[in-house]
Amino acid sequence: MIGPISAIMLTLVVGAIITLLTNSTAQARAVAIVSSFIALAISIWMFLTYELNPVTHLAFEEGSANNWISSIGIGYHVGVDGIGLPMVLLATIVCALGTVYSWSESKRPNQFFALVLLMDLTLIGVFVSLDFFMFYVFWELTLLPMFFLIGVWGGPRKDYSAIKFLIYTHIASVIMMLGIFAMYYYNGINTGVYTFDMMTLLHSYPTLPISSFWKNFIFGALMFGFIVKMPSVPFHTWLPDAHVEAPTVGSIILAGVLLKMGGYGLFRVLLPMIPNASPYFIYALALFGLVSIIYSPFAALAQKDIKKLVAFSSIGHMGFISLGVAASVAAGLEGPRILAHTGAMFQMFSHGIITAVLFGSCGVIEHHTHTRIIDDLGGLTKKMPKFAILMVAGFFASLGLPLCSGFVAEFSILGGSFQTLPIFVALAAVTIPFTAGYHLWAVQRTLWGPYNEYLGDIKEIKWYEFATLAIWTILFIVLGIYPQPIFNMMQDTATYFITSGNILPIGGIPI
Amino acid sequence: MIPLTYYLLLAGALFTIGAYGIMTLSNGIRLLMCIELMLNSANMNLIAFSTHINDASGQVFALFSIALAAAEAAVGFAIILMIYRWRAEIDIENMNLLRW
Amino acid sequence: MDPTLTAITTIDFRMYAHWIVLLPMIGFLLELLIGQYTWRKGGMFANLSIFGSMVISYGCLYNVYVQHLGFWEYSWDWFYPGIVAGFTVDPLSLAMLCMVSFISFLIHIYAIGYMGHDCAKHVYFAETALFTGSMFGLVLANNLLQLFIFWEMVGLCSYLLIGFWWHKPEAAAAGKKAWMSCAVGDCLFLLGIAIMYTIMAKHGVTTEVISFNQIFQHLEVLSSSVVFGIPALTIICILFMCGVLGKSAGFPLHVWIPDAMEGPTTVSALIHAATMVTAGVYLIARAFPIFLAAPHALAVVGFFGAFTALYASTLGLVVNDLKRIFAYSTISQLGYMITILGCGAVIGVAAVALALFHLVAHAFFKALLFLTSGSVLHGTSNTRDIKEMGGLLKGMPWTGWTMLAGALALIAFPFTAGYYSKDRIIEEAYVYATGHGSLGYLPWLFLVLGVILTATYTFRAWYLAMTGEPRSYLAVHPHECDWWMRTPLVILAIFALGLGLFTKGGTLFWHFLEETFVTATNTVSGIYPGIDLHEIATLGGNHLLEHGHAAEISPAVIYLPFFLMVAGLAIATGAYYRNRVDMSKYIKKENPLYQLLWNKYYMDYLFKDILAEKIIMTVFTFWDVLDRYVIDGVVNLMSWITISTGQVSRKIQTGVVQNYATAVIFGVSLLVILVKLLGGV
Repeated sequence: MIGPISAIMLTLVVGAIITLLTNSTAQARAVAIVSSFIALAISIWMFLTYELNPVTHLAFEEGSANNWISSIGIGYHVGVDGIGLPMVLLATIVCALGTVYSWSESKRPNQFFALVLLMDLTLIGVFVSLDFFMFYVFWELTLLPMFFLIGVWGGPRKDYSAIKFLIYTHIASVIMMLGIFAMYYYNGINTGVYTFDMMTLLHSYPTLPISSFWKNFIFGALMFGFIVKMPSVPFHTWLPDAHVEAPTVGSIILAGVLLKMGGYGLFRVLLPMIPNASPYFIYALALFGLVSIIYSPFAALAQKDIKKLVAFSSIGHMGFISLGVAASVAAGLEGPRILAHTGAMFQMFSHGIITAVLFGSCGVIEHHTHTRIIDDLGGLTKKMPKFAILMVAGFFASLGLPLCSGFVAEFSILGGSFQTLPIFVALAAVTIPFTAGYHLWAVQRTLWGPYNEYLGDIKEIKWYEFATLAIWTILFIVLGIYPQPIFNMMQDTATYFITSGNILPIGGIPI
Repeated sequence: MIPLTYYLLLAGALFTIGAYGIMTLSNGIRLLMCIELMLNSANMNLIAFSTHINDASGQVFALFSIALAAAEAAVGFAIILMIYRWRAEIDIENMNLLRW
Repeated sequence: MDPTLTAITTIDFRMYAHWIVLLPMIGFLLELLIGQYTWRKGGMFANLSIFGSMVISYGCLYNVYVQHLGFWEYSWDWFYPGIVAGFTVDPLSLAMLCMVSFISFLIHIYAIGYMGHDCAKHVYFAETALFTGSMFGLVLANNLLQLFIFWEMVGLCSYLLIGFWWHKPEAAAAGKKAWMSCAVGDCLFLLGIAIMYTIMAKHGVTTEVISFNQIFQHLEVLSSSVVFGIPALTIICILFMCGVLGKSAGFPLHVWIPDAMEGPTTVSALIHAATMVTAGVYLIARAFPIFLAAPHALAVVGFFGAFTALYASTLGLVVNDLKRIFAYSTISQLGYMITILGCGAVIGVAAVALALFHLVAHAFFKALLFLTSGSVLHGTSNTRDIKEMGGLLKGMPWTGWTMLAGALALIAFPFTAGYYSKDRIIEEAYVYATGHGSLGYLPWLFLVLGVILTATYTFRAWYLAMTGEPRSYLAVHPHECDWWMRTPLVILAIFALGLGLFTKGGTLFWHFLEETFVTATNTVSGIYPGIDLHEIATLGGNHLLEHGHAAEISPAVIYLPFFLMVAGLAIATGAYYRNRVDMSKYIKKENPLYQLLWNKYYMDYLFKDILAEKIIMTVFTFWDVLDRYVIDGVVNLMSWITISTGQVSRKIQTGVVQNYATAVIFGVSLLVILVKLLGGV
């Protein structure tokens, strides 16, 4: 009897293989939609029946440590907790609707849909792995489908962008791998057990007698791997290029789920190691977050391509995650710390949904008008009133409108972080008008004003585009009004992280 | 009995001649012959040591490598024949398609 | 008594206060989804749902004011312990609720006629229903976070409705400007809430962390908190005030209101005159004890309010756009309300009552003025320039006379609503001044000067539009509005003239409102006792007058506003009634004062041309260069280095077999020598 996690992965593997064997758009998308919706159904079932094991603080655990290549301590060990499960849910939602969104993909449809399914598979693999070997393998495997999605179905500069994406993030992963190896080695020589099992390693790591150089090396290497993936300024330049060239569904998955791997790494891997790292790393993490938050609106204001503008907005939103995580591990009251921590987790889910709408809107604009240059658009509401509603909803959610899920996350992060990082929070808050500015300016030049007659006679949004965008929109509004199902699940895990001694508070600035 | 050193000197001389040939000659057939020379100098060493320590396995090994050398020579000559048919010459220095 | 009526009086409407918010939200959804297939292609659901909310609101008022059931507050846990969604029914929220629901309902009725021919009518009604629901949510909120949420939601509706005619570039730009001006204040407001959450948590509060009543109970301990070396409460209050300046159009964030007149006139009446812009005043009123406990906060509030009041009324003198005149007047009147709240440092909770009374009175007469100007626009094919009107009173008597009623109330003509609300504010500002040294007279002085200007610009508009000869073709044959629009005008005119009389000169209203903070509030689980404002005031270094011991004011001060009003009226009549005085020698380009006013003190120039277009544009162009060529340049430089190293080193691959063989032989020899040298085998 296999568990639900393996079932999801098997479904997607089988689905991808069958999709590859089909030879028309209709067949390929039928298989892809069926298999990705089965995966979605299973993850929703997991969400509904989620129950934590009080000892391990995991759910749906499968396999065990070292059961695969036991001689060097590699095992097939998967499971989820209050951050892993929402991420699995996010991946399945975004990818399942992404396949629907690409309804009319006609260029090599079988390979396209197979790659989307593989993308789904590898992302879920990252979010459920409890073994560093598997984690790293899936982490690297995510690059491949995305590389081909950009490189084959991409825009004019696809080669440059695909290779930049691959090499940039790959270098970061390799550095992260060095950190994992160092941890493996030092755990082995000190405890006599050589294992890649994440739970064992992270549990024993804080007590290992390691020289401070290696401690910092391990922490720094892992942190570098994660913040490049998030991405944080100044390691962000692969992202706008990749987004601009990627096909729409590629961008949706890239921003919606793939970026969350970095944030997930922060929660899953980095946090338990914090007691053993230098406090400067925490300030560095907060600084990376703050710089990203301040940087993104200014860079976005300058963009002429609406998709690149949206890509820069992602950088700012991911900055809130770093800020929240850093603030939640500094010394202070438990209540606000848990709030900041949960807020950072919730931002991961919320941003995944909101950004899917944003990139979906960019895709609609591109498919219908054949341009993405903001100055060439204008007055689209005249021809596409239904689309205008969804796009306005998405952009306002992205700028942090209350009653959308992004606001819940941002308020939690700002409110929870003020006690430990007051200056950072104050600076992050005053950038909100700039964020609002570029969103509104883009909406104004795209949707409002007189219709640009050079665009010709464009058609109203297609039903499959409307349906997917509408579902995401409803989702982020519902989560903005009633965030409890996911927020409370994350809050349990955040409370566990904060109170179980996994995170020892390091010095903060008390007020 | 001839001392071991003499055999080794002979083998060394053969090897050096072969190596010199490889480094300087450009005719394909001559190259192959030089390779044969080097191979046979190694065979000679095998046999010499085998006699010296009274162990027949060295001689068996030499036989084995002679057989291999024959096979290798056959392949090598075949390649050179093909090159000759293709380009009507066997000058190795002009065979540089795989350079940067 | 009729049994049905008896049954109604036994209902405790306070338990259904959340439906006041939810009904218009449902109306919004229905209107958006199916509104265009129903009665008159939209408007039915919005009107019905707001009528429902109005019934519940007045039911609550009946419960509290007539039946004395007490104040009531209830909440549900939201996403995090201590963060709740809650509703509070007390005099303060009731005053706002009843005003908002009544005015919003009237304006919705008016809009059935006014927006009758618009093809996106269902979208309009959906957005106004969403706005009204959000406004109710803001008013009923028992905590800061919920207030902020609806504060942003009303901002969203304002943005959408200003840009309702999205195809007009000015409308789209005005919407953006409105949001941006508010966003500057709102981000600071949000920061203030974050600080409030933090210091409440720091003092061990775990339930209802940022609920108003809970904060009021803890003011004593909170006043010891310090952030960035300044008392935390002062910082919080200043940050809140920044939010207020954005939303209630205080100087210097008022610049968006005149542009916001690009929206439909009903929107200007509903959002930018009667309700949304008063949200800021409501926030200070609702958080009044916090401001009272924060050193210096109320003084800052008072000065900003008074300055705005005078500043905006000077601008009203030169504008020719009918709607913009009333827009500046709105800014100015909001300044009066904010000033009197600032004077609360001396007069205590009476300040809240006075501000709210002026707020309600203002809502009636300003909504009336906007609706009549909407009627003028409607009747003259969108003529907005008063220079092109004239003599409209003959063609549209209903509009003209009701506008006169609104104008009289605005200038505080005796026995109209404004007379009871505004003159009392000026009196109390004088009371404040007597206790605060020579600088304390400034707010009073600004307010008094504002009175004469208000009278002048209001009647300048009325005379130029309504009397004299028509000055353009469109003004010759204006057509009067239909009954959908006429009815609300008449009702509003009755209230604009009579609100003071109905409430015995405002005293009924004041006495009801003055109970707000000092009386206990019941909740499901317990009771928040009323707070002692005198004690709270001492925390902030303020000293309140004892109740009923008002300082002696000389009659000269009391009657001064009246005489100034008459003077202003006289100036307007002299200059503009049949043009007896030639104004053209003052109104010309060479007059520097006129230039200054005409260019709105160059505030728009400062914000738009210098700040937005020069500074920020330069910064972000530079930023883009930085991103493209420096940060990404480093990445591309590294790849260039890698590639060029490869370019150089691949020359080793000569392709000549001999070279490879030579390299092999030398390599092996070197290895052997190395092994020997290092003492290997």
